[in-house]
Amino acid sequence: MRLLRIVPLLITIVLVYVLNKPILGLPAFGKLLDPINGCWANAEDVNNNYTQKFSLQQLQHPVTIWFDDRLVPHIHAENDHDLYFAEGYIHAYFRLWQMDMETRAAAGRVSEVVGKKTLKFDRTQRRKGMVFGAENSLRVMEADPRTKTMLDAYTAGINTYIHSLKYRNYPLEYKLLGFAPEQWTNLKCALLLKYMADDLTGYTEDIPLTFLRDMLPKEDFDLLYPEKISGSTPVIPTGTHFEPASLPTIPVPDDSVWTHLQPGDFTDTRKEHDGKGSNNWVLSGMRTQSGVPILCNDPHLGLNLPSLWYEAQLQTPDMNVYGVSLPGAPGIVIGFNDSISWGFTNNYRDVKDFYAVEQVKNDSNSYWFDGKQVPFVKRMEHIAIKGEPDFIDTINYTIQGPVIYDEHFHGPGGLKRPLALCWMAHKSTNELLALYLLDRAKGYTEYVDAIFNFQCPAQNMVYADKDGNIAIWGQGQFVNKWKEQGRFIMNGADKDALWKEMIPMKENPHVLNPPQGYVSSANQSVTDSTYPYWYNGYFLEFRAWRINQVLGETKKATVQDMFNLQNDTYSVLAANTLPIMLRYVRNTSLTPDEKKYLNKLINWRYFLSADDVAASLYQIWWDKLYRDIWSDDFEKVPDNLWPLPERTMQLLQTDSTLKYYDDKNTPAVEGLKDMMVRSYKETIDTIGKLEKTTGVEWYKVKNTTVEHLAKLPAFSFANLKIGGWGNTINAAKHDHGPSWRMVVQMSKDIEAYGVYPGGQSGNPGSKYYASFLQNWVDGKYYRLLFLPNQKQQNITDIKYTLTLQPKL
Amino acid sequence: MRIIIATFFIAILAFVVEYYWPWWIIAVVAFVIIFLFNLNPGRGFIAGFLGIAICWLAVALWRDTLNEHILSQRMATLFGLPHYTLFIVLTVFLGGLTGGLAGWSGSQTRRIFN
Repeated sequence: MRLLRIVPLLITIVLVYVLNKPILGLPAFGKLLDPINGCWANAEDVNNNYTQKFSLQQLQHPVTIWFDDRLVPHIHAENDHDLYFAEGYIHAYFRLWQMDMETRAAAGRVSEVVGKKTLKFDRTQRRKGMVFGAENSLRVMEADPRTKTMLDAYTAGINTYIHSLKYRNYPLEYKLLGFAPEQWTNLKCALLLKYMADDLTGYTEDIPLTFLRDMLPKEDFDLLYPEKISGSTPVIPTGTHFEPASLPTIPVPDDSVWTHLQPGDFTDTRKEHDGKGSNNWVLSGMRTQSGVPILCNDPHLGLNLPSLWYEAQLQTPDMNVYGVSLPGAPGIVIGFNDSISWGFTNNYRDVKDFYAVEQVKNDSNSYWFDGKQVPFVKRMEHIAIKGEPDFIDTINYTIQGPVIYDEHFHGPGGLKRPLALCWMAHKSTNELLALYLLDRAKGYTEYVDAIFNFQCPAQNMVYADKDGNIAIWGQGQFVNKWKEQGRFIMNGADKDALWKEMIPMKENPHVLNPPQGYVSSANQSVTDSTYPYWYNGYFLEFRAWRINQVLGETKKATVQDMFNLQNDTYSVLAANTLPIMLRYVRNTSLTPDEKKYLNKLINWRYFLSADDVAASLYQIWWDKLYRDIWSDDFEKVPDNLWPLPERTMQLLQTDSTLKYYDDKNTPAVEGLKDMMVRSYKETIDTIGKLEKTTGVEWYKVKNTTVEHLAKLPAFSFANLKIGGWGNTINAAKHDHGPSWRMVVQMSKDIEAYGVYPGGQSGNPGSKYYASFLQNWVDGKYYRLLFLPNQKQQNITDIKYTLTLQPKL
Repeated sequence: MRIIIATFFIAILAFVVEYYWPWWIIAVVAFVIIFLFNLNPGRGFIAGFLGIAICWLAVALWRDTLNEHILSQRMATLFGLPHYTLFIVLTVFLGGLTGGLAGWSGSQTRRIFN
């Protein structure tokens, strides 16, 4: 009997064991809820005093970090090493978990901490050669003494912070997901940069376009999927003179250079894609009230918390730069310094091509190339999976690159054919050096020297300086391609299909001080047809049409005008299509409800404002019309690659009898009018349902959400009251949008403004977690505090001073 | 009287040792204190429960107040709780339960040797 008294102890031990162990994907509750070490330790005092002194090994001189009231650090260091050490330390201090997850995502190492459900994602990352590309870039980054110092110091700063942590100090998400921070490495920085390269150049249409080319009559294919949209207002203004190409035009090889696809090459259903965009522009002094240039940029990326961007100012004796940095990489990416300012949009020229691999029969270890059997280079990828044995993927590399898809790992639409991937993001490129030089550039020549190191992801880079110069470059590393090279899947056995010479950087499209007095880009076609090199890409035109229309009429612009333009929600698509749509529907028999909404549309002025009901009506109607026209004809196309909205708009304007207007799924032959009426009635039906559920105001219908990276709704913000859509300048979509809005007036004392949808702290328990979000939603800006490059600062601007001292 | 002193000891000691040990040290604290105080099982449970609950409540309230409930609100939402105070209640109950069971075990174990 006496021994039964041991039972309570056993019960207690079991309870403690259970509370200390993550079960069924739930966190370890005891560990998590412990007020001293668990999640409560992440409840940051709203009056937390960041004025502190830390003594850190490896620092050479003291570093001062002034925080302003928005918690933007202004870092003053005596040399490059100390500066990047401090930047690494601060990035880790505020954003460690995010840096860890983003580099894990790049490297295909998410399953290691999340479990088997992300295995397919991890395999995709490995198979596209993300780690291979990062290793290639790391070699050149470490070969240059400047970027070597940058990386080593930055990594040391992060690791110094990590080593100072106890479980209590771990970012909250580590406690929720049940893993621990690991040692940072230079490779992780390279991975983060490749993560961006993948985000911006990873999109490709080669596979569905090949399918379509083989499925459609040639004239239909050219009509629906033109190489470029006509009427583009290109990044480099029409009429700009281009020097003749220094490289010869390569003759187009015969048809055997292509690979053709059969419907049987695909096995399963299709999925949708989602493009990204950005805007930037610069007005020269002749178009501004102040008489000096104003530079504006709003790169559109995934809207997440913690934010992709982290604001900072960096000072050394030879540099004073302010802007946004990417936690996980040293330097400032977009911003301004004492002399110049710059901004990026994605360039979208195609730098990612596919080659069909012809395996040697009965020998899985080699493939055919140029009439010879060549052995694959094999790369073993070990993917650790939480709670399960490692998964090992052996990836074959051909002369072109990694075999991304094969019979064991299907491509889009369940494509079974082995395809090798040739991608600029695999190359040894040193974008970090571009940032290093850009942050220090004092004028146009130094700017150009800097950006020549920026190879992938290619960007449209706007420029303005204090001397009044403005410029734009469509900058990246591009291949001298024969006409249509890489637009479709190529024959991997054909040596003519290989990438040839690289186009010299100085021949990249650019313009300095164009007579029109402004430059701009919004992911549209880069040049007109007079540019001597052939290229294709994934260009979008709507925002560019609007920007060029507004800027062309702009005189005496103020920074407030620029804020307004960045928050503009005018839809060029709506302005061009709604009058046509209304014409078809007006004189048909309509129910009272249908009439009521029609009147709303008739009076609408094409602005997708947040609380506008007509905006919802139009967008739903357009979406349904677009689907009604194309879905029956193109439902089997991989990635749902339907004709672009730009192209659809042009067809509606010019051709009312296109055979594709017919719905193939019905016996009757429908025309455009039938599609219009049908889609309008469907729209009113949908609106009726929305009235009873979420509401019909545009922002409720589109539900712009800034989501936490772990997809936890409790840490995310949904239903933000913001207008716009992908094809308006304020491109706030469901989960994508302007990730950093910046306006810089290049006066003697630079006047700069900015805002991003997040906050400086990555900690959901901090008041700085999403502190900028409401202003971003409202289209309001912060005046950016650009401190002079000196050791002492005017104390009123500074809220906290953090001093990092060398440990003796 | 002994039960009050034991409760007090558990609360203070748990607070101190938690800065050096993981959270489960609270069970050890409650167990050892009750073992030494030789309380009966019912009182052992109560002292263990209250000791840890008081410690955790104090720390949670202190942090939550300075934080103006930012974290507790988000955590409450994450756990599907309608109000942040319920997240505090959940925390305190979990700590108290662990302490209570450990106190009860301390008392029963002592009775093996008595």
